[in-house]
Amino acid sequence: MRHGTAAASGGKGRGRPRAVPRPEVPARPAGRLDDEDMPAPDDALLLKMLHSMKLTRALEYRIERKLYRQGKIVGGVYVGRGQEAISVGAAVHIRRGEGEDRDDIVSPSHRDMAVFLMQGVPPERILAQYMGRKTGLTRGRDGNMHMGDLRHRLVAFISHLGDSIPVAAGCALTFVMRGTDQVSFCFFGEGATSRGDWHEGLNFAAVRRLPVVFICNNNQYAYSTHVSRQMRVERVSDRAAGYGIPGETADGNDLLAVYDRVGRAVRRARRGEGPSLLEFVTFRMTGHSAHDDAGYVPKSEFEEWGRKDPIERLQSALLRRGLVDKPSLAGMEARIEADLDEAVAWAERQPYPEPEECLDGVYHEGGPGAGDGPQGESTAWR
Amino acid sequence: MSAVLKKGRKRPAAPARVPDLAARLGPPPAAPMKNPGLSRARLLELHAFMRLNRMLEDKLSALYRQGKIVGGLYSSLGQESISVGTAYALLPDDLLAPMIRNIGSLLVRGVPPLTLFLQFLARHDAPTGGKDGTLHFDDLERSIIGPISVLGTLIPVMTGASLAARMRGETRVALTYIGDGGTSTGDFHEGLNLAAVLNLPLILIVENNGYAYSTPTPSQYAVESLAAKGPAYGVASESVDGTDVLAVYDATRRAAERGRRGEGPTLLECRAFRRRGHAEHDDMRYVPRDLIAAWEKRDPLDRFEAFLVEEGHATRASLRAVAEGFEPVLEDAAQKALASPFPPPEEALRDVYYEAT
Repeated sequence: MRHGTAAASGGKGRGRPRAVPRPEVPARPAGRLDDEDMPAPDDALLLKMLHSMKLTRALEYRIERKLYRQGKIVGGVYVGRGQEAISVGAAVHIRRGEGEDRDDIVSPSHRDMAVFLMQGVPPERILAQYMGRKTGLTRGRDGNMHMGDLRHRLVAFISHLGDSIPVAAGCALTFVMRGTDQVSFCFFGEGATSRGDWHEGLNFAAVRRLPVVFICNNNQYAYSTHVSRQMRVERVSDRAAGYGIPGETADGNDLLAVYDRVGRAVRRARRGEGPSLLEFVTFRMTGHSAHDDAGYVPKSEFEEWGRKDPIERLQSALLRRGLVDKPSLAGMEARIEADLDEAVAWAERQPYPEPEECLDGVYHEGGPGAGDGPQGESTAWR
Repeated sequence: MSAVLKKGRKRPAAPARVPDLAARLGPPPAAPMKNPGLSRARLLELHAFMRLNRMLEDKLSALYRQGKIVGGLYSSLGQESISVGTAYALLPDDLLAPMIRNIGSLLVRGVPPLTLFLQFLARHDAPTGGKDGTLHFDDLERSIIGPISVLGTLIPVMTGASLAARMRGETRVALTYIGDGGTSTGDFHEGLNLAAVLNLPLILIVENNGYAYSTPTPSQYAVESLAAKGPAYGVASESVDGTDVLAVYDATRRAAERGRRGEGPTLLECRAFRRRGHAEHDDMRYVPRDLIAAWEKRDPLDRFEAFLVEEGHATRASLRAVAEGFEPVLEDAAQKALASPFPPPEEALRDVYYEAT
């Protein structure tokens, strides 16, 4: 059923104390992610997650509603408004800043701005990216979400939806081969689940029992295709049974539900028990991208889902709990806006790439992973 | 990632995988065969197709060893019940797309052995004019769509064919085959998903024969049975003993009825075993011998013949007579094919690109 012995041998006697050998885990039937010990987030973490959600929304608002309309954005704009709880509730589980044998790796989707922020990419770099500036993550070569940075363990988003799934599985395979307990996080939408790449990546991860957490933001529209025209099953998580892995569906606008399910799946993956497929039901509160008026979406759906806004929901829960009050929320928002004012101003001052640079970084130059970018980042992902 | 690779750290050797192949791949317990209501004449016809299938392939195998076959030869030894049972359950107008191990499906559709010999011998009078070998040919008059060598790609094609049939208001169903290995391809996923969403009358026969070339099924999928893939697409699915031609026939018939009633696709797993190499050149030393021995005892033709004798539909002598009747027919067809010409060199570029007439 599995190829677990590589991991078991990989962790031993190779002078790598932090690598955790993966035990041979007996096959267990795919099912729910039972985990009695999954802890709830503490107060500090809740506040951090609220901040991340608010920062994400504010940053995307600037990009989509201000800079795009001012003609300052190069290319398309895809935002995750209304879906922030999924990116934040998942990304908070990513282990980071502990070195290459410890850090997790993540393949975000195009609606996971929060993942970039939480992995440590500063807002001003993201703004420079969207404005096609030299100090953007792709140095002005590619726009919007087509960015990554392996220093932040971010695999660049691949425009072809579904393609990142085999990539994420491959990353996880390297963890198994090296005998570490790192986890590969993989985000996608429900439309991508109809892609052949998705199937191949999921099946491979299941057969090799790779440490991947597959996170589907089911926002019910793939461009203009409603989910009912995307699949005949009721839930994306129903697909998990076809691979012999656990699949669960939860409310994607409920941060705590996301936090809980992803946490369980991550713990399972670290224990060497293999991948999980998580579906978070939400709604795309915008068009496919900033140019799309989403005229094909009934207005009533926007109204209904607007009442389920994930930030409002978390905020009122925290208000009831007394963790925040009106003035502290206002203060948080004011600080975010002030930070973004500065970030936008910085990004607008950044130069565009020089014409003579346009061929740099198109083909690989230098040794493997040579850190030859202007910011010293690894260019290996390009 | 490459920052990690840069250090040149030695990776551990690939894991030695020793899953209990005999337990996972051995034959499931055999249930007694049951007649799903076929007349004696039809039972005997089913048997005749299976016998013809086997004898034809034996002859092709002999020709291969004489160096006469152009290209590969893929045996369906021990799986004839699947080709014959599924094709026999369809109506003549139903769309049928065989794969490389489904010579029996073509025989049921009425493709003459001579045509098949010509094709495998790459002769000028073959359906592909000697340009391509094996079963890589269409016969649209017999509603046969030719196999595509790239496994899995035929599924979206048949999804499209069944969509076309429905758009024209026809009640035809479409049937095609895939192996256990092909279920891991993206095309399998995309084709089956689309058929499910559009509620098309597609019948997907998964011939689970234990190995995709040298990859055993425990390295191919992580589910107990490939029938588990059905619910993941919202399609009806079933797993049957592929060595029981009557079970295969009956399950396919039900799938076709379901499709004609507008209830959408069916995934039907037929469990059998590939008792030869991937192709004739392959000595399959990677397959445990005891596994082959166990499946030899589950031979679909032996089983069906025992059933026919026990139920009084035939005698050993009458069954022997069937084989003896085929022998001169096949020999004659083979000789005719061997005597027929190869394509002339000047035709090599014809039909490569479309030419308007």
